[in-house]
Amino acid sequence: MLFKNQVKYFTALLILVALSMNAQIKVGDTIPSITLKSNSNSDVNTSSFKGKYVLVDFWASWCAPCRLGNKKLVKLHNEVSPDKIEIIGISIDTDINKWLKAIEKDKIKFTQLIDPKGFDANAALVFGVDELPSKYLFNPEGVLIAKNPTEEEIMKLIKE
Amino acid sequence: MKKINKINKVRVIVASIVLMFSIKSNAQIVKAEIRATGLTCSMCSNAINKQLKTLPEVVNVETDLNTNTFTVTLTEGNTLSPKVFKEKVEKAGFFIGTLVLTAKPETITQSTYILVNNNTANGTEIQFQVVDKGYVTEKEFKKLSKSYKNVETYASNNEDDFHIKILN
Repeated sequence: MLFKNQVKYFTALLILVALSMNAQIKVGDTIPSITLKSNSNSDVNTSSFKGKYVLVDFWASWCAPCRLGNKKLVKLHNEVSPDKIEIIGISIDTDINKWLKAIEKDKIKFTQLIDPKGFDANAALVFGVDELPSKYLFNPEGVLIAKNPTEEEIMKLIKE
Repeated sequence: MKKINKINKVRVIVASIVLMFSIKSNAQIVKAEIRATGLTCSMCSNAINKQLKTLPEVVNVETDLNTNTFTVTLTEGNTLSPKVFKEKVEKAGFFIGTLVLTAKPETITQSTYILVNNNTANGTEIQFQVVDKGYVTEKEFKKLSKSYKNVETYASNNEDDFHIKILN
């Protein structure tokens, strides 16, 4: 009986894993609700910013193109009112110290969260992140409106 | 008496199977260290990792972010050829920059392997680099073509021959 239950549990787990692996959010999907630790050590939920645009940016300290992208995001953050858009960086760094150093070096002031498990991180699986950087822009209703938009596209989209 | 005979028979069979496998397992790749190249950052993509994990012989893939290397651990008794790593990396949209294999010593006694240096390793495992076209960068291949112009088979680029340089 106990064995049967274990089999059931295992099957359910397998299905869940399979589902989470295939789930890749598409334009029109709602922002996933994931709670992660921020660089100021508080818990932040990704779906708690409805009412304004949300840009989720997946990155890592060791990813050179991401670090270049950070510069552009810092600029965007300085130019656009924080009431209009919330920028959330989610790092998949496995080394928290390297992440914190990168934030300092890149002078990032917007929300920074971490899911320290590389591409196996739950947040990366839920969003369907297969490469870095990966960006997702959600509208104030929390609906995905663009994947990997450029800064120019973001500016245009949030002004509409 | 009969029972003992039966047990002995079983023992012989088990022993032969074990022996068979142990012979086979003396000729296998244990570990592959792959450095990939391409137009984009290879470590920033999960594609190589995913491609490698489609192989049932792959036990584990680890990434070293300092050396940009994928370290692939393989199952005991596998019969994989170096070619499979090239195929998987290219399927992921990248190229092999370097491929260093750790293998059981008898692996390289197979006719598909051609040594380009004379170092003979005496360990329980040997480490060697595949130096053929497609297993090194284009630039390196050009350089190596000059160094190995005395190795007749090197220039023929036969897909199933592997020219190897022993490292240990």
